[in-house]
Amino acid sequence: MSEVNIDNVKAGFEKDILTVKDLRQIEDIRIKYLSRNGLLAKLFDELKNASPDEKPMLGKSLNSLRNEITEKFVSLKSGIESASQKLASKIDLSLPGVERTIGSKHLLTQTLDEIKTIFKGLGFSVFEGPELESDYNNFEALNFPFDHPARDMQDTYFINKDFLLRTHTSPVQIRVMTEQKPPVRVIMPGRVYRNEAVSSRSYCMFHQVEGLYVDTDVTFAELKGTLVSFARLFYGDDFKYRFRPSFFPFTEPSAEMDITCFLCHGEGCKVCKQTGWLEILGCGMVDPNVFKYVNYDPEKYTGYAFGMGIERTAMLKYGIDDIRVFFDNDLRFLKQF
Amino acid sequence: MKVSLNWLKDYVDLKNIKTKDIVEQLTMSGLEVEEFTDENEVYKDFIIGFVKEKNKHPNADKLSVCTVSTGKEELQVICGAPNVEAGQKVVFAPIGSVIPKGNFKIGKAKIRGVESSGMICSEDELELSDDHTGIMVLDKDLTAGQSITGALLLNDVIMEIAITPNRSDALSHLGVARDLAAMFNAELNLPAINLSESSKKIKDFASIEVKDTENCPRYSAKVVLNVEVKESPEWLKKKLTKIGLRPINNIVDVTNFVMYETGQPLHAFDLDNLGGNKIIVKSTEEVSSFTTLDSKERKLQPGTLMICDGEKPVAVAGVMGGENSEITNSTKNILIESAHFNPSSIRRTARSLGLSTEASYRFERWVDPNGTLYSAERAAQLIAELSGGIIASGSIDVYPDTVKQKEVPLRFARVKKLLGYEIPDEKMVEILKRLGLQVIFESDKEIRFSVPTFRPDLEREVDLIEEIARIYGYNNIPTISKISISLGGRIDHSEFADRIRQYATGLGFYEMINNPLQSEKAAGLIGEKIALLNPQSLDMAYLRTSLIPGALLTVAKNINAGEKNVALFEIGNVFNSRAGSSEIRSFEDFTENQNLIFLLTGKKTEKTWLSDEKFVDFYDLKGAINSILFKISLDNVLNDSYYHGENTIFDFSFDKKVENTVVGSGGKIKKEVLKQFDIQQDVYCFEFNLDSLKSIKTAAKKYAEPLKFPKSIRDFAFVFDKEVEYGEVQRFIKKSGYGLLKEVSLFDLFESEALGENKKSMAFTLEYYSPDRTLTEEEVEKDFLNLIEAVSKKFNAKLRGK
Ligand SMILES: [Zn+2]
Repeated sequence: MSEVNIDNVKAGFEKDILTVKDLRQIEDIRIKYLSRNGLLAKLFDELKNASPDEKPMLGKSLNSLRNEITEKFVSLKSGIESASQKLASKIDLSLPGVERTIGSKHLLTQTLDEIKTIFKGLGFSVFEGPELESDYNNFEALNFPFDHPARDMQDTYFINKDFLLRTHTSPVQIRVMTEQKPPVRVIMPGRVYRNEAVSSRSYCMFHQVEGLYVDTDVTFAELKGTLVSFARLFYGDDFKYRFRPSFFPFTEPSAEMDITCFLCHGEGCKVCKQTGWLEILGCGMVDPNVFKYVNYDPEKYTGYAFGMGIERTAMLKYGIDDIRVFFDNDLRFLKQF
Repeated sequence: MKVSLNWLKDYVDLKNIKTKDIVEQLTMSGLEVEEFTDENEVYKDFIIGFVKEKNKHPNADKLSVCTVSTGKEELQVICGAPNVEAGQKVVFAPIGSVIPKGNFKIGKAKIRGVESSGMICSEDELELSDDHTGIMVLDKDLTAGQSITGALLLNDVIMEIAITPNRSDALSHLGVARDLAAMFNAELNLPAINLSESSKKIKDFASIEVKDTENCPRYSAKVVLNVEVKESPEWLKKKLTKIGLRPINNIVDVTNFVMYETGQPLHAFDLDNLGGNKIIVKSTEEVSSFTTLDSKERKLQPGTLMICDGEKPVAVAGVMGGENSEITNSTKNILIESAHFNPSSIRRTARSLGLSTEASYRFERWVDPNGTLYSAERAAQLIAELSGGIIASGSIDVYPDTVKQKEVPLRFARVKKLLGYEIPDEKMVEILKRLGLQVIFESDKEIRFSVPTFRPDLEREVDLIEEIARIYGYNNIPTISKISISLGGRIDHSEFADRIRQYATGLGFYEMINNPLQSEKAAGLIGEKIALLNPQSLDMAYLRTSLIPGALLTVAKNINAGEKNVALFEIGNVFNSRAGSSEIRSFEDFTENQNLIFLLTGKKTEKTWLSDEKFVDFYDLKGAINSILFKISLDNVLNDSYYHGENTIFDFSFDKKVENTVVGSGGKIKKEVLKQFDIQQDVYCFEFNLDSLKSIKTAAKKYAEPLKFPKSIRDFAFVFDKEVEYGEVQRFIKKSGYGLLKEVSLFDLFESEALGENKKSMAFTLEYYSPDRTLTEEEVEKDFLNLIEAVSKKFNAKLRGK
């Protein structure tokens, strides 16, 4: 250990920094001189072995060398850093970015989600039931007697005479009411099947959301209020709504709800068959016969039920004119939503 | 059902009511007008034209150049019809009018170089019939220039009304008119019966015996003698053609007319062809065959209600008459049948024959048992008037048990309770009376009605409330803007599946919804398929047993469409028969499960300026599955089992199990399977039973404080025999390390010549830490050295590098 060693290190450092051009070389310098095993550390190690006479002097020189190297290193590093930042600001920002894929729920799921969100906000629970149903739950308990023309309203896929693919989500009403006592406030989304020829307007299966509210003072006026409120939240305020009488075996009175035609705004066009209206859902007050099947007292309780097709709803909302696109699962369709 | 407004006006006065209001009110009272044609509107621009001259077109053989006079002016018109001649009165479409067929507007045109200002029309072009053989040639006495709406009585409104199955009474003009009478509070005028009967007694000409009174509760008949079968008069033909019927002869036309008037299907028999001049109504006892009016031989099942004469069957009751007793041009004497049949019996027969007629449609929905005689008399009267026949006096009417009117009470308070709105009591009573109900008892709170037998749908108080509501108008019941709901638990069965959907989309998967109805081949790939009894086609004859076949079909379609890089998922129900058969008697005989499938195929990254193209592999699938499981807190609950080639679907695969129950499996699909779907690229998929996943109990999530003390990290690499599996080593290290060894992960894996044959190198990173303190170098180093020794020994592995 001597002044010479110190001078050599100093000279070496002065020389090394002349060639430093980038951050990697700066790091090399740090490791060579300033790290735990670097040259300065070595010199300090050797200082321990120096004679007591030399020690103060050498210590002083060494300290000043360390300060000098540290100072120069810091200023060199910040210089290089700002230079490389300047360089970085020159990269071609117009090159394409690296995109990450977010998938998507099927448009029917998205539509159902919207409907669910609204009804959950109105205090409804969500129940599901099986698609392979008994004739009893799908028809009989819903007041469709065997051999009745009302059954013609729904072309049915049978498994055998007792089991079938449900033609509507209404059997879930029976399941819910068999399970629990009023008040019942549920929506029941699900898949249903109809034995109809596949075309742009109809498919062998589709999706429905059924609703049911049973309590002691449920009225037709409340049914209207609730459904209009739903429709305003879902379709917006720019439409008019109307209720007209219809027939479902499991509701009495029964109604269908119409919305002013999306295309012609009520003027009459081909889509609405010149009526200016489009049907959006069926509804009514629960028929007392249904209450009898599930052992509810029809004198004490009243209730309403409603059901809407999700495909139809989505087709109206997004201007889709062929129901089959929902089930083709073409990625060019799926990626649009 | 097609309904003519002019016809309705025969029974109810609608003089001062606008067509638009009538149509709207019908719809708003439950008789939905699906479509309507207002002839006054459609034909307003068409006028009577007079063909003054006809010359050959200079440039076309088949065209004529006509001069048509419209009364005001003379126009040159090109006509292509072969039957156009000078001197005819024709329907002329002036410039600006719109031809109903094809909905095109007439403009000034040049046809083969000659100008034409208008068009001479055929019935087909005017949509009056499908006759397009030539132009309509009209009565010479009509005045040119007159509008055809007046001249040809094209001033009706034809409505297509959808009649719901409960409203059998509305399957007639009188039925619709009755509703209109109630809506507009007007009188309903039933046509009066005015029979001039001869001295000849019906009993001397025919007799009737009903053997099956259960299926034929009433059979009424009238006899008309000495009829002349001929063309019907214009008014009758017009009535029928307006609603889309083809006139046949005066007898058949009257029976049709009365059916559309009253809703009672009638049948006219040639009395002289009825063996023994006798009608016997009975059900068949064995399989037999019968030739109906349409000359088709039909196979009849036992229990089919038949109309027979003294010798043979002559009609399938309520469905269709027989060829052997139909009215012909030489028919002289007729028997008019007007019956009430049991709806289920007719429905059964119609279904078994696959034959739905206007008659069977009405009978299976209920025809008024107390209206048979009225309709028979109405028909007899009209037939006598139009055919010169004479009506035998009296009628034959077999009606052993009279169907009585039902009594139904109505409590005013109940109306308000159900509708949420008060309708004046008098208004309610007025509506029900207009609909044909009669008051039989009245008090402050309640009123009892007797319901006519043409309304079988009105049995209970609630049915009357619906009648009141629909005639009063649903729109007049207020839409309330405030509701009160009971507070209580809320349940969402779909919440779990919705969470999975959300995570799956976050991982870049798109959701598909496939048709659960599949071909035998697709449904037969996995599981125990269930067949449909009445499939629409072979492609959709079975229920899916798994989500895999549907997903592969979707992949194949997408590849064909050029979308080769696919990440898809689906949540849907699958069905499996339990007994290995489709003999399903109860819910125990099959399973229906909600399943979840993830599928990956093609590239995960495309070649770009920054990256190379990379294809998805098994580890992408496995990673995605584990990411989802982590989000639903099942990553530490489920364990994996791995398989090579022990499966008909997968080349290699893995299961997810909870204890020993498999809740999901998947892997790389075999080439042979892909070939069946015409897929040429590798496909990886994994299917869960979502119901099983959902039923696994997991602890509620708790906050874990982020680590406050530093981790100690150690690395080591070993050379193993090639068959040693990562999973085994990883588990061994974790198990053998001391309690503070928290993570063991693989950071490098390779094989090379330098390592030797059948050798591989695996390098691990070990993380030691404690939530409570900083670990000392000594304790970590000690464990690390122990592990090196243990791994070397256990796997006969050689430590590398150090
Ligand atoms: Zn429209």
